[in-house]
Amino acid sequence: MLELINVNKAYAEGRKVLTHLTYTLKAGEYVAIMGDSGVGKSTLLNLIAGLDTPDSGEIRINGMAISSLDDDAATQLRREQFGFIFQAFHVLPHLTLSQNIALPLLLNGVPTDRVEQMLADVGLRDRGHHFPRQLSGGELQRVAIARALIHRPKLVLADEPTGNLDPDTAHEILQLMRTEIKTNGATGILVTHSHAAAATADFVLNLTKDGLHPVKSEHSE
Amino acid sequence: MNSASLSRWLLFGEWRAHFVQMIVALVAIAIGVAMAFSIHLINTAAFNEFSAASKSLSGQSDLQVYGRKAFFDESLYPLLANTEGVALANPVLELDVVVPGKLQNRNDHKLKIIGIDMFRAVQISPDLLGLTEEGKTLDRLASDAIFLSPAAMEWLQVEQGDSLSLHVGLQTITLRVAGGLVRARAGQRIAVMDIGVAQWRFQQLGLLSRIELKLKNVVNHAAFKVKLAEQLGESYRVTEAIDQEKRIANMSRAYRVNLNMLALVALFTGTFLVFSTQVLSVIRRRQQFALLRVLGFTRQQLLRQIITEGAILGVIGSLLGLGLGYAIAATAIQLLGGDLGTNFFPGVKPSIYFDPMAALIFFLVGLIVTMLGSIAPALEAARAKPALALRSGSEDVAMAKFSPPWFAVICLLVALLFTQLPPIFGLPVFGYLAIALLLIGGIALMPRFAAWVFSRLLSQLQRYRLSAVFTLVLARLANAPNQAAIALGGILASFSLMVAMAIMVTSFRVSIDDWLGHVLPADLYVRAAASGDQGGFQLDTQKAIAELPGFDRVDFFRTQQLSLDANRPEITLFARPVDRTDARNTLPLTDDRIAPGALPGNVMPVWVSEAMVDLYGYRVGEKVTLPIGATFSEFLVAGVWRDYGRQFGAVQMQLADYQRLTGDLSVNTVALWLQTGMTPDAAIANLRQLPFGAALEISRSSDMRALSLEIFDRSFAVTYILEMVAVVIGLLGVAASFSAQTLARAKEFGMLRHIGVMRRQIFAMLAAEGGLLTLLGIVLGFVLGWGISLILVFIVNPQSFHWTMQLHLPWGWLTMIAGIMLVSAALTALLAGRQVVSGNVIRAVREDW
Amino acid sequence: MAESKNTGRRYFLRFVSMIMLILSLVAAETIAESSRLLPVVPDYKLTFPHDYGAHQDFRIEWWYITGWLETADKKPLGFQVTFFRYATDQNQDNPSRFAAKYLIIAHLALSDPAAGKLMHTEKSAREGFDLAYARPGNTDVKLDDWTLVREEDGRYQVDMRTGDFGLQLSLTPTQMLMLQDQNGFSRKGPKPEQASYYYSEPHLSVTGTVFRQNKPVTVNGRAWLDHEWSTAYLDPEADGWDWVGANLDDGSSLMVFQIRKKNGGKVWAYAALRDVSGEVKFFNPEQVEFTPTRTWKSPHTDAVYPVEMHIRTGEIEWQLTPLLDDQELDSRQSTGAVYWEGAVTLIRDNQPAGRGYLELTGYVKSLAL
Repeated sequence: MLELINVNKAYAEGRKVLTHLTYTLKAGEYVAIMGDSGVGKSTLLNLIAGLDTPDSGEIRINGMAISSLDDDAATQLRREQFGFIFQAFHVLPHLTLSQNIALPLLLNGVPTDRVEQMLADVGLRDRGHHFPRQLSGGELQRVAIARALIHRPKLVLADEPTGNLDPDTAHEILQLMRTEIKTNGATGILVTHSHAAAATADFVLNLTKDGLHPVKSEHSE
Repeated sequence: MNSASLSRWLLFGEWRAHFVQMIVALVAIAIGVAMAFSIHLINTAAFNEFSAASKSLSGQSDLQVYGRKAFFDESLYPLLANTEGVALANPVLELDVVVPGKLQNRNDHKLKIIGIDMFRAVQISPDLLGLTEEGKTLDRLASDAIFLSPAAMEWLQVEQGDSLSLHVGLQTITLRVAGGLVRARAGQRIAVMDIGVAQWRFQQLGLLSRIELKLKNVVNHAAFKVKLAEQLGESYRVTEAIDQEKRIANMSRAYRVNLNMLALVALFTGTFLVFSTQVLSVIRRRQQFALLRVLGFTRQQLLRQIITEGAILGVIGSLLGLGLGYAIAATAIQLLGGDLGTNFFPGVKPSIYFDPMAALIFFLVGLIVTMLGSIAPALEAARAKPALALRSGSEDVAMAKFSPPWFAVICLLVALLFTQLPPIFGLPVFGYLAIALLLIGGIALMPRFAAWVFSRLLSQLQRYRLSAVFTLVLARLANAPNQAAIALGGILASFSLMVAMAIMVTSFRVSIDDWLGHVLPADLYVRAAASGDQGGFQLDTQKAIAELPGFDRVDFFRTQQLSLDANRPEITLFARPVDRTDARNTLPLTDDRIAPGALPGNVMPVWVSEAMVDLYGYRVGEKVTLPIGATFSEFLVAGVWRDYGRQFGAVQMQLADYQRLTGDLSVNTVALWLQTGMTPDAAIANLRQLPFGAALEISRSSDMRALSLEIFDRSFAVTYILEMVAVVIGLLGVAASFSAQTLARAKEFGMLRHIGVMRRQIFAMLAAEGGLLTLLGIVLGFVLGWGISLILVFIVNPQSFHWTMQLHLPWGWLTMIAGIMLVSAALTALLAGRQVVSGNVIRAVREDW
Repeated sequence: MAESKNTGRRYFLRFVSMIMLILSLVAAETIAESSRLLPVVPDYKLTFPHDYGAHQDFRIEWWYITGWLETADKKPLGFQVTFFRYATDQNQDNPSRFAAKYLIIAHLALSDPAAGKLMHTEKSAREGFDLAYARPGNTDVKLDDWTLVREEDGRYQVDMRTGDFGLQLSLTPTQMLMLQDQNGFSRKGPKPEQASYYYSEPHLSVTGTVFRQNKPVTVNGRAWLDHEWSTAYLDPEADGWDWVGANLDDGSSLMVFQIRKKNGGKVWAYAALRDVSGEVKFFNPEQVEFTPTRTWKSPHTDAVYPVEMHIRTGEIEWQLTPLLDDQELDSRQSTGAVYWEGAVTLIRDNQPAGRGYLELTGYVKSLAL
C-alpha cells in the first residue's frame, strides 16, 4: 500500500536524515516507528503526507507517487485518503466537537451523518455541541481520533499522539486508536518514543541511519 | 539573571518576532496623534496670524471707538482728541475696494485700504507707514499715493511707481503705488493711503471707520471706557484690544471647534486602533504570560512588563506622531492656506509655530491612550489563573471581559440623553459627546451583535449543506466574536464617521442648493463697488438700468453692516422689496413666521435669519429696535429665514422702510429678471453699453450658484481628507487585527492544511472572514453613522452655525464607499494572512505558541 | 508700551527726518515751481500785527524762541521752543477736512546742566479740526495741547508739556522789534530769491514754570524770539548753517549766521548788532567769520560739533562757550531731526558780554539724504 523506494532527504543545512530508505507497508497494517530523536521520524511522516518532498527516491501510495504531485493534488490526496493525529491535538477552539469531527467530511463534500456515531465510538456520545475548551486533554485527543477516521481514510498518520497525556489516559487513547484504525480498515503509522505506545501496533520498526528495521517483539514490555 | 534583563529579553524578543505588528501599532499611534496635532497647529497658526494681522491694523491703542454702522461722522474725532485723559486720537478710514482686474474671483476681489493720518498713526500703528522713495517722506500725503503690502503688490502685480486702477462706485480712479508696507505680515494684503486723500478719492468725505485712542498713563482705563461709552451713547461702541480679540475669536470659533472635533475623531479612531492592537498583542500571548507566571513571575512583574511595553510604544509612536503632525501641518498650510481653503481667515499667510505645551498635551494623549490599551488586558492577564490561561481557546473568553453589554447600553442611553441638552457657550459640546458615546457604545456592543448575527446565520444556513470553508468562517465569527469585533471596531468607527459626514455634507449641500435657488431668483445680479456709506447706484444710475429694454422685473437691494453687540461680528442688513402678500415669495422662510395677512399695517416688519434668533434672542411677533437711520427704530419680527451665507446674523427689511428712515436712496445690488426671448448675454451687453457699464460687476445667478457650491465644496475638502484618514486608520485596524490573529491561528491553519484544506481555500477563508466582518461593520456603521449624522445635522450645525437644514442621504456615494471598504477590507485581511499561510505548515502544528 | 516705542524707533531709523526733510525741501531742487506759493521779494514792507501771524502763501515759517532761565535757587537752564508751519503744496483741491495742506511741527528742548544733557521732544500734525493750526493775523499756533499765543499787549504765552517735562512761560517784550537785514528781507545766499522775511524780538522778559519729572519749578529769565518765513531758502550748495542769537548784558542784541558751503567756505553770512538805543550795525558776508575753537563728538550720532566757536563781526571778536556740551537734539528715534541747539555764554574782547543760543545744523552727514 505504501512504498518507500530509495528515499533520501537532507535538511536545509545539509545534514542527511534519511538515506536510501526503502520499505513497503501492506494495506491494513498498523505499524509503530521508533527511533532516536533527530533521526528523521517526523520528516518521514511529512514526506509520506506529501507536506515535504524527498531529495531523491520515490514514495508511492497505492502505486501513485505522492512525491511527484503538486500541492493541490497532494492536498486532495490527504483530504480523501489520510487521517492525522497530532501530539498537540489541534482541535479548533471555535468549532463544536461535532463541527471539528465533521471537517474532513465537509472538505470532501460528503454527508456528515457519521459524526454522531463516531462521537459515540470515541466515547463522547451526546457531547457534540460542546466546545473544545470544556474538554480534558484525553478527550481532545479522542476528538482528534474521530476527526482522523471519520472519512474512512486509507492511511492514518499519528505523531506522538500521547506525548501530552498521562500514562493511563495514553493507554486508553492508544487502544482507541488501534480499535478505530482496525475497525475502519485503515493502514496506520504511529510515530512514538514510547515502547508502551509502540507495543499497541502490529509490529515496530526502528528508524536508524541505515534504514527501517523490524524490532523483535521481545523488546516490547 | 536579574529581572530587568529578563524584561528586556522578553520585550525585544516580542518585537523581533512580531515586528510588523509593532510597526502597525506605532503607525496607528503616530497617525492618531499626528492628525489631532496637525489640525491643532494649523488652527492655532491661522487664528494667531489672523488676529495678529488684525491687531497690526489697530496697533497699540488702548481703546477703539466704532459706529454701529460701518462708518460714522468725523466730527467725533476732534471731540475725542480733546477729551480729558486722551493722549492721542488716531482716526482711521478702512475700506474694502473692488479691484477691477479681479472681478472674476467673486469671493476675493477686494483690497483692504486703510486711510491713516501718518502723524497720529506713527504712535499707534507705525507699521502702517508706507516706505517712500528716498527723501520723499511727504509723498505719503500725496493725493495719488497708495502704499501696498508685499502680498498686495504680488496679488496686484504692481511695483513701486506703477499705477493702480480701482473702482469707486461706478467710477474708476487711478492711483500711484508710492511705496511698500515693509512691515506688513506675510500674506497680509493691505494698502495704506493718507486719510484725507482716501476720504476724497473714495468719496467718503466726512466719514471715519474707527478712532483709536491712547490714554494718558494716569487715567483708569476701565473707568474711562465706561464713561466714554456712556457719553457716546448707543450710536457708538467702545472696545478694547481684548474685545477685538474676542470678536475675532468669535468669528471663527465654530469653525475651529468643529475642525478640532474632527481631529479628535481621527484621534479617537486612532485610539481605538492602538487599543485593539495592544489588546490583541497581549491576548495573543496569554499562554506565554501564563507560563511566565508558572515559572515564577509575580503579578506585579507581569503587569509592569506589559505596561512598560505599552509605554515604550506610546512614547515612540507619540513622538513620531508629533513630528508627522508638524510636517502635515506645515505642508497643508503651504498647499491649502491657514484656513484649509475655507476662507475663514482671509488675507493671511500663517507659519506654523511649534508650541511645546500643546505638543506635550498631544504627546500625553497618545501615550495615555496606548497605556490604557495595555493596562486593561495586562490586568486581565495578571489576574488570570495560569493553569487555565495555558490552555488554548481561552482567548475569546478573556476578551469578552472588555466589553460588558451593560457598558454599551449605558453609553447609548447617555448619548440619547445628551442629544437633548442645549449648547455650552454657544458650542455643541453635548452633541459631540453624544457622538463619541454613540461610537463607543456601538463598538462595545459589537461582539455580542456579531456573535448573534453570525450564529443565526450559521444555524439558518446549516440546513443547506455548507462547504467546510464557509462553516469554518461562520463558526469562527459566531463563536469567537470578540476577536472578530476588534477588527470590526476600526471599520465601524471609520465607516460610521464617514457615513455621518457624508450625510451631513450632502444634506448641507442640497439645502444650500435649494436655498440658493430661493435667494437668487433673478437671472442677473448687478453690483457696483460700494462707495463707503453709499450704495454704488445712485438714483440716476438705478433709473438708467431700470429703463433698459428686455427686463421683466428689476429689484433694488441695499445692504449694510450693522453692529449690535461689541463682542460679536457685525450683522448684515438687507433692504429690498419683500412681497407684501406673502414674504415666502421673496425669502426662504422657515415655518416660524407670522401668517401672511396677519401682519399689522402700522409696523415695519423685519425678517431675521436663524442666527438672529439664536444669538440675539429675536422671536417672531416681538418688537425689536435696530440702529437704522439717524436713531434707533422699532420693528416687528415677522418671520425667520434660512441663511447659509452669514452665520453671524442677517436681517431683511422693506427697501421702502429703509429709504424712509434713512433718506438713503442708493442701492448696492440690482436684481434683473429677463423677458422671455432675451438672452443673458444680450442683457449683459446692454448693461455694458451704459456709460458706467465697465465698472459694473454683473453675475448670472447660475454662475453664482455654481461658485457658491464650489466654495462650499472647497471648504469641506478638509473634512474629506480627514474622512479618508479615518478610513485608512480603519483599514490599518483590519490589517493589524488580522495579522495578529492569523499569527495566533498558525496552528489552526497548519492543521487544516494537514487534513486537506487547500492553500487557496485558506485564503478564501480569510477573505470571507474579512469580507463578512466588513459587511457587518458597514451595515452597523451605516446605522451608527446615520444616527451621528442626525446629531450633526440637527444639533451640531444649528448650535454652532445657527442654521438648520433638511436631511438628505447620498445613497450612490455611500454604496460606492461601502463597496470600496468591503473589497479593501477583504484584501487587507487576505494580505495580512498571506504571510502566515505561506509559512511552514509542519512547524506550525508542532509549536505550542 | 516699551514695545511700541521700540517699533517706532526701529521703524523711523530708516526714514529721513521730518526736520531735515523740511530743510532739504526748502533748500533743494524742489523749490516750488508752484504758482500758488509766493516768493520772498526785497521791497515787501512788514506790517504788524498782521506779520506776527502765519503766512500761508509761503512754504515754510517758524516761530523760534530760545533763552536762559534761572530757577529760584539760581540754577541756570536753557530752553528752546519752535513751531514750524509747512505748506505741503499737496491736496489743494481736496475738500476733505483731513486734507494735508499744512503741517504743524513743534520742538521743545530744555538744557539742564544738572541733567548733563538736553531733554527734548517734538510733535507733528496736519492742520485741521482746530487740533493744530497756525492762524494769520497774530501769533497763534497750536499743536494739540501745545500753544504759542501772542496777546494783544504783545506778551507771548507758551504752554508745552509732555509726559515728564515741559514749560509754561509768559514772555514780555522789553525792546522794540528787530527787523533783520533789509527791513526784514533777509538774504540767505548770493541769489536774490534765496531769502526770507525775518524779524526778531530780543530781550523778552520771561516768567513762568518749568516742569521736570512733572515737578514744577518757578523760573524767570531772558529770551529771544525769531519769526521767519520763506518759500525758497537755501542755496543747493549749502551744507548747513551756524547761527547765534544773543541778549547782551548791556541791553544790546546780536544775531550772526553763516551758511556753510558743501566743500568748506561759506555760501552766505550776516550779522547785526543793535545797541540799547536801537542803533543797528549790519555786517556783510565778508565781515563775518566763524572759527571753531573746540569740537565735541556726540556719543549719540558720532557727529562732531564746534561747540566752542570764535566769531568775528567786523572788528569785534566774540568767544562762545556752551552751557553744557551735550545739547544735541537727537530725535532720530521719532521725527529724526539731529542738530545742536545750545545755550551759550558770550565773551566780547575777553569780557563776559551776555548769553544766547548757538545753533549748528548739517553736521550729521548721513542725514544729507
